[in-house]
Amino acid sequence: MSVSHHPRETERTDFVAVLAKTCLVTFLISLGFVVLYPLFWMATNGFKTNAEIFGNPFALPSGFSIANYISAWNQGIRNYIATSVIVTLGSAVCTVLVSAWTAYGLTRSKLPGKPFFVGIVLGGLMLSPTVAVIPLVRMMQDLGLYNTYWALIILYTAFRIPFTTFLIRAYMLGLPRDLDEAAIMDGASEGQIFWRVTLPLCKPILVSCVILHVLFAWNEYLFAMIFTSGADLQTLPVGLTSIMAKHGTNYAIVFAAMTLSALPIVITFFAAQRFFIRGLAEGIGK
Amino acid sequence: MVDLSLRNIRKAYADLEVLHGIDLDIKSGEFIVFVGPSGCGKSTLLRSIAGLESITSGDLVIDGERMNAVAPSKRGISMVFQSYALYPHMTVYENMAFGLRIAGMPKAEIDTRVRRAAGILQLDKYLQRQPKALSGGQRQRVAIGRAIVRNPRVFLFDEPLSNLDAALRVATRIEIAKLKQSMPDVTMIYVTHDQVEAMTLADRIVVFKDGYVEQMGTPTELYRKPANLFVAQFIGSPAMNILKGKIIDRSGEVARCQLDCGLLLDIEEGQGRLSKGETISIGIRPENTRTTGEDASDPAFSGTIDLVEHLGDVQILYVDLSGHGEKFLVKADGESALARGQNIRFTPRRQDIHIFDAAGAVVACRVLPPT
Repeated sequence: MSVSHHPRETERTDFVAVLAKTCLVTFLISLGFVVLYPLFWMATNGFKTNAEIFGNPFALPSGFSIANYISAWNQGIRNYIATSVIVTLGSAVCTVLVSAWTAYGLTRSKLPGKPFFVGIVLGGLMLSPTVAVIPLVRMMQDLGLYNTYWALIILYTAFRIPFTTFLIRAYMLGLPRDLDEAAIMDGASEGQIFWRVTLPLCKPILVSCVILHVLFAWNEYLFAMIFTSGADLQTLPVGLTSIMAKHGTNYAIVFAAMTLSALPIVITFFAAQRFFIRGLAEGIGK
Repeated sequence: MVDLSLRNIRKAYADLEVLHGIDLDIKSGEFIVFVGPSGCGKSTLLRSIAGLESITSGDLVIDGERMNAVAPSKRGISMVFQSYALYPHMTVYENMAFGLRIAGMPKAEIDTRVRRAAGILQLDKYLQRQPKALSGGQRQRVAIGRAIVRNPRVFLFDEPLSNLDAALRVATRIEIAKLKQSMPDVTMIYVTHDQVEAMTLADRIVVFKDGYVEQMGTPTELYRKPANLFVAQFIGSPAMNILKGKIIDRSGEVARCQLDCGLLLDIEEGQGRLSKGETISIGIRPENTRTTGEDASDPAFSGTIDLVEHLGDVQILYVDLSGHGEKFLVKADGESALARGQNIRFTPRRQDIHIFDAAGAVVACRVLPPT
């Protein structure tokens, strides 16, 4: 059986398809521009002098001197980055491990009333950090953890566990139970099944969770401002505010400092974006 | 060497009982196949034996020891799963060695066992590959290898061939049969819904339906002497033809039956189970009918061919019998010139006719030559 198309109708269909594709590409390029240009603008302004920034803010710098970057680095950014790295990595490891264990229990155990416990854990998503600040300050002071790395590591972990558990649980629900049963037949204990079978299989979602946590902890401001004081324990967001207060008129150094603070997170995200997308997609799809 | 006994095994999920008091005795070295339709409880029973499901009541005894509360890994049992259940992040070697490493076995011993099993299953070349780099058949062999290395007393197979294509299924079935021959002392329990696998592999077959054992016996027993209508129709391909009839007269040990298709049969039955007015079913296998060279002492049926299926060596005829709602299947010689619309006369051998009472239980009797 042959199907014939009217030539004019075919041409019109082709034209609509090309137009739709062109519109889509234009839209995506515009979107990319909107996202990337501020970053580019921030980074290039770090190479300018203050006069250049005010004279022609959107022009490219006359030269690429890294003096502002060196200056920003030496004026505290180095310490802020070190603190941020410690707090972010410490809380990321704690969050992901605790959440993975919780998700394992919520998906694999024969706990009676499991939906209730799932509800409690996920209910934590609705808890506002702002509301909890005052009791948390008292708690941290009583525990002697106020103005320490641990204050931030514990708080970031506690407040990210519900969301991270939610993601890992969704992923674990999609893992075949046969693997657990095969491990049971092989004589593995619950701990061995978790560490040697389930956790390695959750690698994509664990990477996604680490990235999401790093994004959160790296940029978190409220707790970092309240629970730490003094330059040696301040994280980047708080430190940047101090730099802005200190060099309020020297925008070039402020831009350089902001670029330096954003750099690690951008590099991390691009390096791991393949896992990030895969982990989330698989978690949602199953 | 192990004897395995199931004593009044019951399994219930909340109020729903799925196994209703299963009693089985399995001798050491036997190859037992659990067969039955989906949802009949065969996999649940296998998983209960493995320890993956708890037993609600009853006793599971292996080698004289009650095993109900013993951990799965301590029962001396290995299981091959339907989905292979290979750890995807481990190599073939690591998959096979996993259980031994968990048990804390010395490395040298693990290596010896894994390589010996790999040799038996021809997996030597693939030991460093991950499961995703293997074909379905190779994965199944790895799953079997993982079970072998633990030197189990009992092997459990949960529909191990159902994920394989037809050709590979036959090849792997033969491999499993050879594996059993090479381990004559190991007891194997194999679950399938494929009766060809059941018939070809089993020493004895257990037929399940709705959580009950319908019949247990050798493949030949089940085929030749089915205990009831369900087993009669489940075992054999194509399925046995069932014709309805009624006892219209009884005189001494001889009951006269009139089938719905009009044929009269005289049945000699000494236990008085076929009384006048009782509805009965008679079963005739398609392969037990002859379209040529009929014997005058056998009852003769006639009908019109509605469809002919050519299978090469044989052809399956779908025959319309008057008064019989369903098609009557006849297996005829592949060379016979038979066509749709043609009237046909065929005769089942009297000794191959099975009689079932109104409840579906087989009746021990003999069909007499037509008078």
